[in-house]
Amino acid sequence: MTKCRIVIDTDLGVDDALAVLSALASPELEVAALTVVAGNLPLEAALSNACKMAALAGRPDLPVYAGCPGPLMRAQVYGKYAHLGAFSDSLVPPAEKSIEALHAVPFLVGEAVDAARRARPLTLCTMGPLTNVAAALRYSPEVAAGIGRIVMMGGAFTALGNCVPFAEFNVYADPHAAEIVFSSAIPLVVIPIDATFQALMTETHLAGIERVGGLPGKVAACLFRAADRSDIRRYGRPGGPVHDAMVIAYLLKPELFSTARAAVGAEITGKTMGHSWADFWGKGDREANAEIVRAIDEEGFFALLTQCFARLGNSDKTV
Amino acid sequence: MHSQPVLIDCDPGIDDTVALLVALASPELDVRAITTVSGNRPVTETTRNALQVLDLAGRRDIPVYAGCFRPLILEPVYGQFHGTSGMGPVELPPPSRDAEPVHAVDFIIGELEKTRAAGSRLTLCALGPLTNLALVLRLRPDLTGAIRRIVLMGGAFRVPGNRSMTSEFNILVDPHAAHIVFSSDVPLVIFSLDVTTKAMATPERVGRFAEIDNPVARTVAGLMTYWDRNDIKRFGSRGGPLHDPLVILHLIKPELFGMERARVFVQHEAELTIGQTVADWFDKSGLPPNADIAVSVDVDGVFALLNERLSRYGD
Repeated sequence: MTKCRIVIDTDLGVDDALAVLSALASPELEVAALTVVAGNLPLEAALSNACKMAALAGRPDLPVYAGCPGPLMRAQVYGKYAHLGAFSDSLVPPAEKSIEALHAVPFLVGEAVDAARRARPLTLCTMGPLTNVAAALRYSPEVAAGIGRIVMMGGAFTALGNCVPFAEFNVYADPHAAEIVFSSAIPLVVIPIDATFQALMTETHLAGIERVGGLPGKVAACLFRAADRSDIRRYGRPGGPVHDAMVIAYLLKPELFSTARAAVGAEITGKTMGHSWADFWGKGDREANAEIVRAIDEEGFFALLTQCFARLGNSDKTV
Repeated sequence: MHSQPVLIDCDPGIDDTVALLVALASPELDVRAITTVSGNRPVTETTRNALQVLDLAGRRDIPVYAGCFRPLILEPVYGQFHGTSGMGPVELPPPSRDAEPVHAVDFIIGELEKTRAAGSRLTLCALGPLTNLALVLRLRPDLTGAIRRIVLMGGAFRVPGNRSMTSEFNILVDPHAAHIVFSSDVPLVIFSLDVTTKAMATPERVGRFAEIDNPVARTVAGLMTYWDRNDIKRFGSRGGPLHDPLVILHLIKPELFGMERARVFVQHEAELTIGQTVADWFDKSGLPPNADIAVSVDVDGVFALLNERLSRYGD
C-alpha cells in the first residue's frame, strides 16, 4: 500500500488535537510534519500542544515547525477557547521535544517544490487560518504546482457564523490568506461548518473513545469536555462538532462525505470581511476548484474516529 | 571609513539599475546582497537584470536572491516605461552566473537573525513593490527590531499618482504588502513622487552623464535618454523623474534632502483609490509618526553626486 503523504497545518486547539491523534493512528497516512499557525491559540501555545500531541501518539520524532504568529492583514483574533491556553501538564503530559529551527513557511515551500520535481504532489491538510499556506504560495509558482490538493476545515456557506454572524473562524481569522488559497488553482476539499455541524460528539462517543483509546483517548475526552461545544439551541440535539477531525476522516474514508463542486472565495474588505462564499450554481467568473462537503455520514464518522483511537489504545503501553 | 551595511530589494528596472550602479560605486555603503521582486518586470527578468547590472559593475562578489513572483493579493501589474526586458534600449551580455538557491524572504530573515545575534541593526532599501519585506515581517515579526530602517521609493502624498490617478506604481502593485510595512514598527524613510518628480533627469543633465568616459556611465546615459517622458506639461521640463536613485543618494548624502515626519497609511480596500498613500501631517490619527518623508531636494546637488559616483567606474 502506498501511504498518502500529508503535512498538517494546524492552530492546535482541541478539535485539532483529535485530528492530529487520529492521523498519527492511521497506517494509511504518512504524516511528514506538523506546521503550526496562530489561530485558536497564540502560536506558542499551539506549538506546545503540537509537541504534546506528537509525543502522546508515540511519535516524539515527528517534526513540528513554527509558522506565522499572526494574520496577513487583519487584527489578530483567537478562538473561543483561547482562554484555556496551552494544554496543561496535568491534563496532557509534558513532551520532551524541540521545535525545528526552520520556519513552517519555507518548510512548506521546500516540501511542495520537492513534490513538484518528483511529480508526487503533496496533500496538505489545514485546520486553522491559512496564513502559512498563503505565504508559501507567494514564494514561487512551483509551490502551487507541488500541492496536489488541500483538504481544509474552514468556511461557512449555509450555516453562517461560529464566531461572528457572517463568518467561520478559520476564514475570519485571516480572510486574505483564505482568499489567496481559494483563488489559487489548487484542487481543494473544503469542509465548512455546514458539514461539521452534522456530526455531534456526545458523551456516549466520548466514553467510547476514552474506553478504547488508552492515554490518548483519555486525554482527548478530557480536552473535548473542557471545551464543551454543546449548543442545543443551535444544533437541536446534544453534542458538539469535532470540526478539524473531519479533515483526517475525509482522507481515510471519503465515502462518508458527499460533496458539491464550486468556486469559493472570501471577502477581504468591509464589515463582512471574513465571509466565505461558494458558487454552487456557476454564477461567477471564478473557475470551480473546490469539492465542498455538503453532507456527512455521522455514525460512520464516529465509528472511524473511535477505530483510530482504538489503534492508539492498542499501541499505548502507559495504561 | 565606516561603511553602512545594506540590503537592496529591487525590481530592475531602469531607475533601479541607476540606483544599483550608484550604490555599487559608493564606499559609504556595504551592499551585502541584492534581492529581487516582481514589479517593473516579472521576477525572473528582474533577477536576470540584477545579475547583468552586477556584471557590468564588476561586482560578481555580491549575491542575488530571487524573491516573490507576484503581489500578495492583487494580480501582477508591470511597469510601462522600462522596455520589454526592463532595461530599455540597453542590451547587456547574458549574466555570468545564476541567482543564489535561497529565496529572498528566507535570505533576509537569515540576515536579520545574524544581525540581531550580533546586537546590530540592518538598513533595508526597497526600490520596488514591498512583497518580500511584507512576508519577512509576517513570518518573523520578532525580527522587526533588527531592522534599523526601511528606506523606500514609493507613494505619492501631496501629488497625484503615476500609474493610477491617486497611486504610485510600487505601492499600487502591492498595496497589501505596503500596508504591512507601513503598519509595522519599523522606522521608514520615504522617497515618494512628491520629491522624485522634482529631480528630473533632463536631456541636459543626461548629456553630462554621456560625457563621462566609462561604459557604466554610457549605459546610464542610454537608460536615462530612454527614460525621458517628454511631457513638459506634466513635469515642467523634458526628462524622466529620478525615482529609485534618490534612496541611495540619501544614504550617501542625507543633507541633499528636506524631510518631514508623519505617520503613513495605505489605502488597500477601496477600488477607486487603491494604493493611495496618506501622510498624517497634522497629527489627526492619534498615532505617532513612523516615517521621514522627503519633501524637498537639492536637484543640482543630486545630479552632481550622481555624476561624481558614475565617474568612479573605470574603463
